[in-house]
Amino acid sequence: MFPKRFVLKRLLLLVPVLIGVATLVFSILHLSPGDPALTIAGERASQEFVERIRADLGLNDPIWVQYIDFLGKVVRFDFGESYVINRNTTVREIMANTLPVTLELALYGQLFGILFGIPLGVLSAVKQDTLTDHSTRVGALAGISVPIFWSGPLLILLFAQVLGVLPTSGRISSTFSVSPIRVTGMVTIDTLLAGEWDMFKSAVRHMLLPSLVIGVYSMALISRMMRSSMLEVVRQDYMRTARAKGQGAKITVLKHGFRNALIPVVTIIGIQFGGLLGGAVLTETVFAIGGLGTLLVEAIEVGDYPIVQGTVLMFAFLFTLVNLVVDITYSYLDPRIQQ
Amino acid sequence: MSVSPVVRERGRLVAGGGAVGAAATPVLVIGLVAVGGFGPLAAAETAFAFGGLWFGLALLGWAGSVASGRAIEAAQEHLDADTNWTERRSRRAMARIGGFGAGMMLVAPVLGTLVG
Repeated sequence: MFPKRFVLKRLLLLVPVLIGVATLVFSILHLSPGDPALTIAGERASQEFVERIRADLGLNDPIWVQYIDFLGKVVRFDFGESYVINRNTTVREIMANTLPVTLELALYGQLFGILFGIPLGVLSAVKQDTLTDHSTRVGALAGISVPIFWSGPLLILLFAQVLGVLPTSGRISSTFSVSPIRVTGMVTIDTLLAGEWDMFKSAVRHMLLPSLVIGVYSMALISRMMRSSMLEVVRQDYMRTARAKGQGAKITVLKHGFRNALIPVVTIIGIQFGGLLGGAVLTETVFAIGGLGTLLVEAIEVGDYPIVQGTVLMFAFLFTLVNLVVDITYSYLDPRIQQ
Repeated sequence: MSVSPVVRERGRLVAGGGAVGAAATPVLVIGLVAVGGFGPLAAAETAFAFGGLWFGLALLGWAGSVASGRAIEAAQEHLDADTNWTERRSRRAMARIGGFGAGMMLVAPVLGTLVG
């Protein structure tokens, strides 16, 4: 049965989260140095022109009036137009172009983490204290410890420069144009939907290294959690009973142990999705992929406040939404949570 | 109409923080004018932004505690890494901090209107 009350409660929690993030971003931007009107007008603009822009943007109003006005716009998801990066274009339009890029990267990273992390964790637990277990644990520790800004360039060096098998940057080969077939904005999916196999292959090849870089941390964390959770589950009485009744070891682990061991892992997957989004900022920069993360960094550098506000809120929204999905999954795995 | 003890306790937490925030705002404004060289209105606006920082942080912390608190408690127990952190105490702390920020955000406009 669909846990309506549970989901409604979680959806209501989105409200304080978004108000909190909006208030934080608004306050930080107002406390940081810099004048948006001067940023728009340019250094050489006359004082009169700068003042006119200030009046147009409502920057002459007291901060509390601006805050109420800002919250009203946030509710409508209206962050105005970009000051510097893409003038006369709304932040909503800019984000609509860059969001799929980041989502694609984070989703493949997450997929990589789940596909490799869970089996490795199970394997490590089942073969406890063997060479397989030790190798997996050392690998997981390395995966958690190595930062993206180091592993990214190193992988580029190995796979692109030394072996020459994968591209170094971008989302697809420059010989292709994806604009005519844009549906979701995610290149791999759009090319697949259009049946453009050469383009699809190129997009997948471009996505491999960034996904690997961003997914290694996720994989390491998931495999560690899966191992400890599985070790606990295999010692339970019901597992012993299943074995005593003559059920095979593999079937017992997969049928009775796996689902129960998965519960804490699902929570970790949700919590560390925020890490993936944060990691996307670095990965996009290392691999020159123009996503939401790169946009945010650029907007902070040039003082494009509407874009900063929009992108930070979008990151918060995504993070909360993913956690909502995780909570629903969690409640399916363990119906007691709904109580 | 009687107010339930739970609501009364929560109200007391937020109001306590709010009173401290409201009392701290004039001190901060005077300090910014006297030491920081701010104009009175700019000082009140800065105090409002400071209050916003606390309020926003507390809202996020509170929502995070409500959404993931139990899971974090369970994970700590599971990993045998008991840090004494509990969802309830986190919510209470965030309510106090949020009240403090809200107090600043309410008093700063009053001060700004008076001095501006």
